[in-house]
Amino acid sequence: MSGMFDPLALGFGVAFSPLNLLVAAIGSFFGTIVGVLPGLGPINGVAMLIPIAFAMQLPPETALILLAAVYVGAEYGGRITSILINVPGEAASVMTTLDGYPLARQGLASVALSLSAWSSFVGSMIATLGIVLFAPVLASWALAFGPAEYFVLMVFAFCALTSLLGEQPVKGVLAAAIGLAISTVGVDGNSGVYRYSFDLPHLADGIDFVVVVIGLFAVAEMLQMLENLLSGTSIDVPKSARKLFNFKELAFTWWTTVRGGLMGFVIGVLPGAGASVASAVAYANEKRLIEGKDPDAKFGRGDMRGLTAPEAANNSAATGSFIPMLTLGVPGSGTTAVMMGALTLYNISPGPALFDTQPALVWGLIASLFIANVMLFVMNVPLVRVFAAMLMIPNWLLVPGILAISFIGVYAINATTFDLGLMVAIGVIGYFLRKFNVPMAPLILGVVLGNVMEQSLRRALSITNGELAILWQSGITKGLWAAALAVVVVPVVYRWVGRRRKE
Amino acid sequence: MTLNDRVLGAAALLLAAFLTWHGYDLEAPFAYEPVGPKAFPLLLAVVIGLCGLRLLVKGGNAVAANPPGANVRIAVMVGLVAGYALLFQWLGFILASAAMATLVGRLFGGSWRRCALGGAGLGAAGFLLFDRVMDVVLPLGLLGDLL
Repeated sequence: MSGMFDPLALGFGVAFSPLNLLVAAIGSFFGTIVGVLPGLGPINGVAMLIPIAFAMQLPPETALILLAAVYVGAEYGGRITSILINVPGEAASVMTTLDGYPLARQGLASVALSLSAWSSFVGSMIATLGIVLFAPVLASWALAFGPAEYFVLMVFAFCALTSLLGEQPVKGVLAAAIGLAISTVGVDGNSGVYRYSFDLPHLADGIDFVVVVIGLFAVAEMLQMLENLLSGTSIDVPKSARKLFNFKELAFTWWTTVRGGLMGFVIGVLPGAGASVASAVAYANEKRLIEGKDPDAKFGRGDMRGLTAPEAANNSAATGSFIPMLTLGVPGSGTTAVMMGALTLYNISPGPALFDTQPALVWGLIASLFIANVMLFVMNVPLVRVFAAMLMIPNWLLVPGILAISFIGVYAINATTFDLGLMVAIGVIGYFLRKFNVPMAPLILGVVLGNVMEQSLRRALSITNGELAILWQSGITKGLWAAALAVVVVPVVYRWVGRRRKE
Repeated sequence: MTLNDRVLGAAALLLAAFLTWHGYDLEAPFAYEPVGPKAFPLLLAVVIGLCGLRLLVKGGNAVAANPPGANVRIAVMVGLVAGYALLFQWLGFILASAAMATLVGRLFGGSWRRCALGGAGLGAAGFLLFDRVMDVVLPLGLLGDLL
């Protein structure tokens, strides 16, 4: 047993350094603000900070701690607007509006805020413990993966991500392929051939993923904000008499919270399915489970259990999605895909070997998740009004501010006007892709995974001298193909059965 | 022109054609592996092309039109952001940001006076925070001699 806690002690040693503690606190604070602002989610916050962290020459573990704190902080922050003004601060807190806002209207806003902060805390803690228990096991198992297994694993990740994203999987596939195509720009490492660089020196090293991410998530986002200028939202909920939840409410929601946290963790670990899926599944599940037993349940009209289940689940899923990134090098969500891109800026490629080669980085990150969580919980209970006040920042100041920070970030990488122009062009294209309902997460995953995926494929085929059979010969590849097939087919069948039942 | 899946499909086909056209001639000077540099891009071109065909044939899902006046404002915004990108280095962070914030702020409904004040504040505060405190080097541009 002691073997398991030695690395964790190392991690806490890293995480308790003054710089890393400070960075975790700043990240938590900034992340919560990003989560509060509607239209900005964890992926935007992380994307804006990566180049800045890099330009400040933070050491890699510190940069990763910063980004992780922002990620988890945004999941905390998203609930604040959901509860106060019925506008989800980020995608994963849509379910929180269902019971959170009715509670606020009943004069229980502060109770709902503190109770949901608590359930977020429990969810994240469950998932962080899950990382400590499962990540090293998974990593040592994944060491046996060869290039063929990796290639198929990535195919599986894309299948999971696109099939879960909704109505039109074809657009998810298209997005993933566009992302992969972007990754092929620049010099090909194996042959030295320049691909799609058109003799432009700025394209010789490829398109930096920061340029793509900020174009898609800052520039395109601002264009969209201009399109649907949020109007008429006010923070008009009755003042709460009581600030904190009481013991009775804690006991009442306890098992729902724990179940939400566990479910969120499992969903978060699956590559592709992120916090939004987790919170929706947890809410639906709790509703079904409880309404069958408890005639007094009032889901959708201000049931506290309907508030804690999705909140625990989305935080837990966000934390759980670190597992596939750290152990397999295949991110579990759009935001961890962006973080993985950040690690590649530092020439660190995540994967099973990371636990052996960079133990300080991995365990420092895990320990920081514990610390950031405690900080966030402590911050979020008394400071909730401070965060809510961020909503008072008018758009005419907020939008230029976000643009300026994004430009600083892109400029910081290479200090060229070319990158800035390319970012704007990608942003305009991204705006149109969003109008066409093309999902952005597979595209980002494609940009981040493109090189590794191509390399795995080519290496695998080099082993067999071009014989394709290696891609499905081993037991692991067979299992992964079956899993990929299952995530594609099951939702289709499920939808078909549902439609049949309606008729 | 209304935007629908057919338009997206046509765009995807164009992209696939472009990838094929510029990818087909990619040959490694020394081929020592069975799969060369062009296989993966061409595979992607096929995938993008198939998605495009499917969208083109099936059509539908018309994108809801923007509210009146929105298109002009979005075009202006694109122009402003592009201008910001092109002038960022030459004008320097402070001047470019102040100008961008003033004009973009106007698009988002601020008054001239507030936007200009906010823009000047954003330029100066951003420069102090990032360049001076956080050590992220920003272009000085026209103000280069003064700072």
